[in-house]
Amino acid sequence: MTDRSRQHLATVVAAFAASLLLLFLAVPTIALVARGGAGGLRGLATDAELRDAIVLTVITATASTLIAVLLGTPLAWWLARRRFRGRALIDAVLDLPLLIPHPVAGIALLLVLSRGSPLGAALLAIGVRVVSTPLGIVAAMLFVSAPLYVSAAREAIARVDPRYEAVARTLGDTPWRAWRRVTLPLARRGLLSGAVVSWARASSEFGAIVILAYHPRVASVLSYDRLTSYGLREALPVAAALVLVALLPLVLLRALGRNPAPGAR
Amino acid sequence: MSVTLREVTVRQGSFTLERVSLSVPDAAYGVVLGAAGSGKTTLLETVAGIRAPASGTVQIAGGDVTALPAEARGVGMVYQHSLLFPHLGVAANVAYGAKSEAAVTDAVRRTGIDALLTRGVATLSGGEQQLVALARAIASEPRVLLLDEPFAALDPPRRTAMRRMTRALQRERAITVLHVTHDVNEAALLADVLAVLDSGRILQHGVATDLFAHPASGRVAELLGAENVIAGVASTAADGSVELRAGRLTVHALLPDGGAVAGPAHAVIGADEITLSRTAKETSARNSYAGSVIAMSGAGALVRVEIDVEGTPLVAVVTSGAARELALAAGVTVHLSFKATAVRIC
Repeated sequence: MTDRSRQHLATVVAAFAASLLLLFLAVPTIALVARGGAGGLRGLATDAELRDAIVLTVITATASTLIAVLLGTPLAWWLARRRFRGRALIDAVLDLPLLIPHPVAGIALLLVLSRGSPLGAALLAIGVRVVSTPLGIVAAMLFVSAPLYVSAAREAIARVDPRYEAVARTLGDTPWRAWRRVTLPLARRGLLSGAVVSWARASSEFGAIVILAYHPRVASVLSYDRLTSYGLREALPVAAALVLVALLPLVLLRALGRNPAPGAR
Repeated sequence: MSVTLREVTVRQGSFTLERVSLSVPDAAYGVVLGAAGSGKTTLLETVAGIRAPASGTVQIAGGDVTALPAEARGVGMVYQHSLLFPHLGVAANVAYGAKSEAAVTDAVRRTGIDALLTRGVATLSGGEQQLVALARAIASEPRVLLLDEPFAALDPPRRTAMRRMTRALQRERAITVLHVTHDVNEAALLADVLAVLDSGRILQHGVATDLFAHPASGRVAELLGAENVIAGVASTAADGSVELRAGRLTVHALLPDGGAVAGPAHAVIGADEITLSRTAKETSARNSYAGSVIAMSGAGALVRVEIDVEGTPLVAVVTSGAARELALAAGVTVHLSFKATAVRIC
């Protein structure tokens, strides 16, 4: 066999392997939308339980993402701009929710937020119930999705040359004003992208939510509920509707990725 | 507004700017000359307030600004890479830190960037970007202008034009400038006061012409562009002249103040002080040697000739016409001479 033939064969084998993987990834979702998409869309109009679950999913995922952005952006800036001891520990804390199984994350959250725990009891004492409430859903979503935002935001901020901030400071800006006028606009695309990924992760979460707040049911829990109670046919519209909702941030993410941010290194 | 650093130490990773002291008088053009990695940018950023010193003080106009944040120091900074804000257009960049519309108009007029105002910064050439960066800095009406190799990335004609314009601007507006560069020609052309920075330490600092005339050490002479810096052992002869022995070579020097020198020292001889001939001539010059041409370089009006003299390489500069007349080429024997008064001992 000549070198050229060998190269040709290697290309064919690689293309075949890649196609297999892509088909494996795409076909189940396409089949789901094909079989249940119309029912899902119809369900949004006619099935109040499904509509409520989707609305709850969107609201809680949005709340979780807003909290991740508000609390995670300063942390991301700190990690991107400062060198300090204990940084590895913070990295580990951020990686942990991504590494542990999500039901385990739910159990861990239950441990610290249930009424039997000091924190849960203290919250209950001031009238805040977490378990089996939308707040619990937000907590579970935040736990699994915030690290994704912090990671993306940290990278987006690190890509902005810190000397832009330095120049802005010499032009009269306070650190906060330099951040707002220079770093934030330059990192905006990366921060938005991180927020979208975080939202997508939150809206698709199941394992942690099902432990901490089975009720009220978000879309992922409802689809599981219908599958186990009524079978695949009833679960399909819910699952398909959830896929359609998840497609929205995916489209947004692709649109953001089309143009790189100016000034990114 | 004078700028003074007193015993300033800045630690940055494994690099340390070590007990730096220097002063640029009010409305003077100060230059810090140093090789890449010598700490020039760290020094400027410390004056700007972007880096905090571990010890020492920074003064502007006699006031201690060491604890003041960058935005309160009244400095303008221009980096080598203009660092124009890429999300803003040229006009917005220039107006970014301006206190008034008049300041913007004045900065635009002085830098001649009227035609660029409607452009996006990504469409500008390197030279145009530096002009806009300079306009942005001066529009903020700084007390002190800090320039970090601002012309290094420009082609020679633009570099020359920018140097002229910056110097004229500094004189007209009586701004104090602190400019760091690795370019000895730039330092010689611009500096009223000059500091030589090497590995985080100021080796010498003072009036620029004094530094070029009297480098404090062989290293300073090298950094100031001297071609011939010969390390040896100096002693004072009976006639009051100084002899420096470097291997088989002995160099005679006559110190202007008639002072005596003894011990390890460097002899510094300007390449243009050395006269070449193909035959030994009677000369009044105290230093006269025969040597062998090692290499020649230079395609313009001047030719740089490297000559081995008693095992020590010396560099002479002659016109290309003289090089042709002397039929200089690698391997030929030449006679070279220079006066004892042309030798500086440091």
